[in-house]
Amino acid sequence: MNIVACVKQVPDTEAAIKVKPDGSGIDEAGIKWVMNPYDEFGVEEALKLKEKFGGDVTIVSVGPARALETIRTALAMGADKGIHINDPALEGADAYNIAAALAAAIKGIPHDIIFCGQRAIDDDAGQVGSVLAEFLGIPQVTFVTKLDVEGASIKVIRPIEGAQLLIESSLPCVVTAQKGLNEPRYASLPGIMKAKKKPVDVKNAAELGVTVAPKAKIAKTLPPPARPPGKIICGEEPAEKARELAKLLREEAKVI
Amino acid sequence: MELSKFSVGNEGREVFWNAENFEGLLFAFTAVAMAIFAYGIYRRWQMWTAIGKPEVRNDQIKERIKLLLKNGLFQIKTFRDIYPGIMHGLILFGFIGLLFGAAFDATEFHVGEPYGFPFLIGKFYLIFSFLMEVFGLFVLAGVFMALDRRYITKPERLGYKGEPDNTPDDAIVLLLLGGIILTGFVIEALRIHVTNPPWEVWSFAGYTLAKAFAGVDNNTARILHKVMWWTHTFMALGFIAYIPYSRLVHMITTPANHFMASLKPVGNIEPIRDFETAESFGAGQLEDFTWKQVFDSDACTRCGRCQDGCPAYLSGKALSPKKVVQDLKTYWLERAPMIAAAKKAAGKAAEGTAPEMPAATKAMVGEVIDLHELWACTNCMYCMEHCSSSIEHVPKIVNMRQYKVLTEADFAPELQLTYRNMENNSNPWGVGSHLRADWAKELGVKTLAEDPNVEYLFYVGCSGSFDERGKKVSMAFAKILQTAGVSFGILGTEEGCCGDSAMRGGNEYLSQTLMQTNIEVMNGYGVKKIICTCPHGYNTLKKDYPHFGGNYEVYHHTEIIANLIAAGKISLKKPVDGMFTYHDSCFLGRYNNIYDQPRKILAAIPGMKLAEMDRKLDKSFCCGAGGARMWMEEHDGERINNMRTDQAIAVNATNIAVACPFCLTMLTDGIKAREKEEKMASLDIAEVVWRAMGLEEEKPSADVCAPTE
Repeated sequence: MNIVACVKQVPDTEAAIKVKPDGSGIDEAGIKWVMNPYDEFGVEEALKLKEKFGGDVTIVSVGPARALETIRTALAMGADKGIHINDPALEGADAYNIAAALAAAIKGIPHDIIFCGQRAIDDDAGQVGSVLAEFLGIPQVTFVTKLDVEGASIKVIRPIEGAQLLIESSLPCVVTAQKGLNEPRYASLPGIMKAKKKPVDVKNAAELGVTVAPKAKIAKTLPPPARPPGKIICGEEPAEKARELAKLLREEAKVI
Repeated sequence: MELSKFSVGNEGREVFWNAENFEGLLFAFTAVAMAIFAYGIYRRWQMWTAIGKPEVRNDQIKERIKLLLKNGLFQIKTFRDIYPGIMHGLILFGFIGLLFGAAFDATEFHVGEPYGFPFLIGKFYLIFSFLMEVFGLFVLAGVFMALDRRYITKPERLGYKGEPDNTPDDAIVLLLLGGIILTGFVIEALRIHVTNPPWEVWSFAGYTLAKAFAGVDNNTARILHKVMWWTHTFMALGFIAYIPYSRLVHMITTPANHFMASLKPVGNIEPIRDFETAESFGAGQLEDFTWKQVFDSDACTRCGRCQDGCPAYLSGKALSPKKVVQDLKTYWLERAPMIAAAKKAAGKAAEGTAPEMPAATKAMVGEVIDLHELWACTNCMYCMEHCSSSIEHVPKIVNMRQYKVLTEADFAPELQLTYRNMENNSNPWGVGSHLRADWAKELGVKTLAEDPNVEYLFYVGCSGSFDERGKKVSMAFAKILQTAGVSFGILGTEEGCCGDSAMRGGNEYLSQTLMQTNIEVMNGYGVKKIICTCPHGYNTLKKDYPHFGGNYEVYHHTEIIANLIAAGKISLKKPVDGMFTYHDSCFLGRYNNIYDQPRKILAAIPGMKLAEMDRKLDKSFCCGAGGARMWMEEHDGERINNMRTDQAIAVNATNIAVACPFCLTMLTDGIKAREKEEKMASLDIAEVVWRAMGLEEEKPSADVCAPTE
């Protein structure tokens, strides 16, 4: 089975995000970069399928030079090779262009199943997986928490409010991974060392035959609105304070 | 009464009386016994040298001879536990005395008498006879004490989970020992009965026993004597022959192990140097240990001292240090002869060809040593501190953990999360590393980036930087330093995790990365002196950082505070209430011998009432958080921290003073679990001092409703 897992390098969930004063993005100084946690579920599932059915796991990532570290992390977990799409034109590009680049890279290699995270925790757009499936002209199953391969098709579970859907799809197919799909493994040290020698193809947009032309773009990055200050209710009697609280909740906060 | 060349004033006895024409037979039997002994040692030698990586344990000979004399001959470690110490001492020293006696006898017979200068006569003979009686009784008393312990009293430590781990060998050895002495006394008594010289009252035991043969005629007594003499001789020769094939081999292996004991700082884990080309890391098979680590198991006498204070064992976990060593020994006994044979065969084959080693039939880590045992260890060092054979348990545990973590990446998910957090944010909780210095914001503590010209670096550590309680300790200590006028700074957000938990949890790769990152920063600022409030950071900075080029003078905050008090730099004026007890942190006490300073600090505080817990000083009971256990779930048995809290409750303590943030967390949790929060608290010594200095600000609860002007 030939498996592809797409990964994105994102700031660590605990990193202090500072917006650049000119609004052109975030200040990257001092940021620890990690693999998007949802993509990690995808990589882990890919490795599990490889262990079960054999075959190769290829990691594909779009990002600047530092994204190579994230590809190596996936290789250390056990993936076989990587494709690193590194093109300044793709930095900050929209999901359409990112997916186009990914699709171009994936078209060139055998692929029975393609994993993406359900979204990346940096821009929270959640589009790449779906657009990628469209570019490849194959089905997509999203927000997957359980996956079984049966012959040339898969059965997956997708939780929805108050129920879960059992979805069947033919292969090849794009699967977007949701938390709960698995517990990503900790890379072994021999794995980490071997990962350094595994092949990673670096390609730019032109080499993939992709023209980058954003249809949507981030016009400006703004800091989140400042939280309005809290209000302390003063008074002598608890009953009086409670009355005041109820009044404010109703009239000012309009929540009751 | 027989005629004799001896008389009053010329006391003595005929050596080898009633044993005519015995020499040929005795020499032949002795030769057989010695041959059996020698063959056994030869076989054992092959087994000792069959398995293990190289390691130097014959350097610094002077130090090693001292250790051999101290613990091998003078039995200092054995005597640390008084009853078994005396028991063993009686047998050992009694036997050494008797050995000298036998040597004197033989010299008299083969040299003194034939060459005309007998020396076992007169007063010397009488004193000699008296001493031999004493030594004989020593051994007998020791043997009875041992029989009582093993078969009647049966202390927990001579077993595992309530089941005695006695082997037939234990009984054989005690019977041989007792038998040799008893037959010796009987022989003596029969000789005295027949020859009956008055001075033999000096041989008081034999003399008394002789009265039991009062009605026996001389001929019968002579026959009986001969039979007993040969029985005695066979037992003694059997004893010698039996040494290499029984627990008696400890007569060789245990002193050897004292001689070869680690001379490195307590708790040293040899760093892995080759990450790039090695295929396997840590110890997954016996072959991955050093030869000394393998040899250790053969020095174990199953005395169980290690088990007696092991927090994991006592709290009902599967781990017993004794069982680990014994299980490794059993596996070694199985593997070593095969490997020795394979090596021998390879030696006969063409030079240069790699010997084909018999493949392991089972996993050492997981089958020989259960994973529950492996991960239950808190690295508290009780076992190593108290092992009377100088066995090094903890490094073996860490090496086996390295195998699980580095080679197999198969270990507890919560520990995986901890490691990821350390990788991404250089702290076990995974709090954003940019928040590391936030605790110091309001105190005006400068970072080395702001002012590198300070005497001390205060290495705060993860607990002191991120844990709410730990931050208070950091603040208290920083204020103490400021008040005392000590020049210090912190690394701020340039500081990283010290690496102790990663190292002891088997993640050597991560721990070295963390250590090297810190060393780079510290060396960049030319740091010379460091103070730590966490004994884990303290221990690792002091002992492990030098492996990677980080050489500093490292102090624990209790050392600094004790000095400040002694120098009169801080005044303790505000009395404290309640009853205190001090909990010795393992990494401070057993690892670094810091027992006095914390107690001196507490004693200097006005109004201090201090009660000591039963398990204290080098016998202190771990809080349960060492060896990366801080970051792991505790599923089996009772919680160690609750047990330690109970020990504090037992001495009516209202305050448990600690000097370690892990202990602080564990005991605070223990107090909560025992629902004693209203009556008890756990406090770091820095906090106690800070309060006694009157530095704790009486913060009025902010009155937000007060009318503002």
